[in-house]
Parts: sequence; C-alpha cells; structure tokens
Amino acid sequence: MKAAAALVTGRVGAADLFAILMRWLLGAVFVTLGLNKAIEPLEFLKLVRQYDVLHHHVLLNLVTAMLPWIEIFCGLLLLLGVAVRGAAVLILVMLGSFTAAVLLRALALRETSGLPFCAIKFDCGCGAGEVLICRKLGENFLLMALAAALILWRSHRLCLRCSVFKS
Amino acid sequence: MPNAKAVFLETLLVAALGMLLAVTANALSQRGINLRQDYFPGAAKPPVLMPSDTPSVAPPATRDSVNPSNPALKRLRQRGLQLVSRSEVVTLFRDLRYEQGLVVFVDARDDQHYTTGHIPGAWQFYHYRAENYLPAILPVCLTALQVVVYCAGGECEDSEFAAIMLRDAGVPAESLFVYAGGITDWTTHGLPVETGSRRSGVFLAPKP
Repeated sequence: MKAAAALVTGRVGAADLFAILMRWLLGAVFVTLGLNKAIEPLEFLKLVRQYDVLHHHVLLNLVTAMLPWIEIFCGLLLLLGVAVRGAAVLILVMLGSFTAAVLLRALALRETSGLPFCAIKFDCGCGAGEVLICRKLGENFLLMALAAALILWRSHRLCLRCSVFKS
Repeated sequence: MPNAKAVFLETLLVAALGMLLAVTANALSQRGINLRQDYFPGAAKPPVLMPSDTPSVAPPATRDSVNPSNPALKRLRQRGLQLVSRSEVVTLFRDLRYEQGLVVFVDARDDQHYTTGHIPGAWQFYHYRAENYLPAILPVCLTALQVVVYCAGGECEDSEFAAIMLRDAGVPAESLFVYAGGITDWTTHGLPVETGSRRSGVFLAPKP
C-alpha cells in the first residue's frame, strides 16, 4: 500500500516507474501469448511438432501442454509483483530456447525456399500467428533484455512480494 | 547484484509451481491434451513446410498428377497407406454403393473446416479428439468395403494420421485409402460441397 500511495503522491522516481512499466509490459505480453496457446492447445501441438525437436509423443504432449500455462503463471507473477526475479529468470530461459529454435527453423526454411532471411514468414507457435522472422527475433531480444533488466534491477515498488527469499 | 542463491531458489520454486498449475489446468480443461495419446501415429519426421506466401515446390500428391519422387507419396507408402486419385474418388462418390454405406468418405478436419464445406455425405473424424468421433464412425467404417480419408490436401497429414488410427482400431488396411489432394483438390475441380452437418442437404454453389 505504501508503494501505491507513493505512486499516487508522485514520490516514485523515474527509475522505479520504468521498472514497474517494464515488469507490467513483460507480464502482459506473457499472459497474452500464453493464453493464445492455451486456448487452442492442439494447434500449438501441431506447431511445436514442426520443430522436430521432441521425438517421443509423451514428451511432446507434456511440453506442449505445460508451456502456455507456465508462461501465463510467470506473466501473472510479474504483473502482481511476486517472485519477480525467479519469474524473470524462467522467462529469460524460455525466451532463449524459443529464439534458438525459431532461428534454426528459419535457417532451414531459407535453405528450402531460397528466400532472403528477413522475408521468411511462418507461424512459429509463439502465440501471435504468422510473423516475419527478423521482426520476431527483434521482439524476442527486446523481451530478453527486459527480463535481464528485471533480474539485475532491484525495485520493490508496487510489488506484493517482490522476493520470496531474502537476498 | 542479486543474491544468486536466492534467485536460483526462487526460480526453482516458480518453475515447480508453474508446472503444477500447468498439469492441473491441462487435466481440468476440456481442450486439454491427452498426455499419453500419440496424436501423430506412424509419423517419423514432420514434412518441411514452406514459409507462407511461397508456392509449394512439390505438386499435390494425387495420382492424377503422377510424380513418384513426391515426398508425400513416399511418406504414404512408408506408412503403409494406399493412395486414391481424384478420378477414382469421383467414381466412388457416384457409385451406388456410396448411398448404401459400402463406400464411406471420412473428413479428417476440425469442426470449423468440416461445417464450412465437406464432400457430401462424408463423416467427420477429427482424430485429435478421437474419443468424440470413433464410437459413431468405427462401426460405419468396419462395415464398409472402401473407406476414403481426406483432409485439406497439400501438406496436410491429418488424413494419414486418421487412416492409421482407423487401421489400428480394426478397419482392414486393404479397405483404407487416402485422398491426398483433399478438399482443396475436390473444390478446385468444381465438385459438389456440402456445408453444415452431414446430410444437411445444403450445398455450396459450384465455382464459375
């Protein structure tokens, strides 16, 4: 409540305000993308299969079933300000893995299609439909930068419980 | 700098709770994924899909345009499935046995695509939700002499997965056929299309 009062009375510094906006932005993006996948899990399953990374069907099903909900959970934690660093680390790990997978797939598609790299467009299963690869990579790097900043930047403003463990 | 141990523990906690939530949500959701079901039976590798806006290099895998090197044809053979051409499908469609239920058409697409337009009289079997369709469709397929399964055509593999699932459920392999051209090939050639439910009697106007 103190933080909310500080925000209302204008005693929140620009750095704090920036940290809050970063956290809310990253949280909102992850809740939205996660929901898009969770609503149509079978469509997501078909897209994940295209990456040809998970070969056993149980593993493929498990990852596909869990990923959207973990994204939603991490997004909600960031929006509420609970376990912010833990959620940000997990988001960073997920984003890093997704980016590598999308990049490899785009390179394979470039091989088969002969199109210029930035003209490659496909539904990467990221929850936003078909995207141009360069734009997707740019977005992912921006989101990764936000997650990294949240890990390094200590701001407890408008947090329900910013850190679960004392640090 | 943050305390690395505290951050690590927090990450583990978030991951564990996230996984717990995910498993619970998936189990409770009607749209959830059946973790033990193989949704892609008989599949070794997914086909390399071309990026959108790029015309497919491979022609459609129909025997009306024979191309033995077609990857889809090769894939069908590897999966032990028989291919049926459009002209054969049309002959079967006009066969009296079709009305008698001895020839059965199976549409392997989801509800939205099926109701938008399917081959008149085709049964729907969206194999991703097999439990919803198998009780109705299996007896029909078991009594049929020929079962033709199709999906959208092109790079769509769902007709193959549906056919394999029917085969695994007891439909004789020799009576199962895959129409690889699918509904796209069917509609492109101005053949009749029924909308809504099966035997709704509502047909799309043929393309001029």
